[in-house]
Amino acid sequence: MIEATTAELLDYLADVIERAERYGAVVEPPYDALEVEWRRSGDDLLMDLDVRPRLDRPTSVQITLRERWRPIDQDRWELAEYGYELRDFELDYRRALHQHDSDHFVRRFGVTSHEHCEAALGSATCGHYAGAACYGALDGLERLYVVWTSGQKPDCSRMRCLGDRGA
Amino acid sequence: MDRLYYTPKEVAEMLRISDDAVLDLVHRGEIPALRASARIIRIPTAGFEAWREGRKPVRRRVRISQASEPERVDGIGEGEQLPEQAQALRR
Repeated sequence: MIEATTAELLDYLADVIERAERYGAVVEPPYDALEVEWRRSGDDLLMDLDVRPRLDRPTSVQITLRERWRPIDQDRWELAEYGYELRDFELDYRRALHQHDSDHFVRRFGVTSHEHCEAALGSATCGHYAGAACYGALDGLERLYVVWTSGQKPDCSRMRCLGDRGA
Repeated sequence: MDRLYYTPKEVAEMLRISDDAVLDLVHRGEIPALRASARIIRIPTAGFEAWREGRKPVRRRVRISQASEPERVDGIGEGEQLPEQAQALRR
């Protein structure tokens, strides 16, 4: 489980935005402002960041980085859920790296994280694919950027389906 | 076709420096780079051009919002069929 102090989380969000911009991506509002926020949801903190990989022409590609951090102590948080998504509307595919509803996935498949792959947007041949857990949004962003920079649709058939084919 | 990344070798040619010098800049975090595998490094074109032009991201000031806000409708994993639910539908 990934843990952080409040001060580390403040730095971390700044790091993620900076990394996306260093890759050349455009950060969407409200995170394009000079001062940005972790949003509160009850006791939790949420990141909900959209970035657009940039070319020298308009593109329809979006990477969304979402996280939920849960308090575990007065000044400590744990990464409770994440969802990192790449949607390429030009090449028409989706890749996603998820960790949520971990109890369900551990009970059923023995994994805490899973992935999604749609060779055509909206049409998954497998509900959940196996995949290595991410070490936070910096890792998720890099992994999705590697997918995008390949310039091709992902070959979902090469991934290991956990189950729920066609779900 | 769009160039989405350069190889370290291509960057070395553009900058007229050695491949090792490029890798050194990558490892020092100066040139933005992606590790596609243990041995393959990609340098995103837009990030490289920005670096070459001296454009640097502005470091954000970050705070925690005071008020709890309603969540976006599509929560993480929301709408996704969970394993047990999928099984139940088949029974």
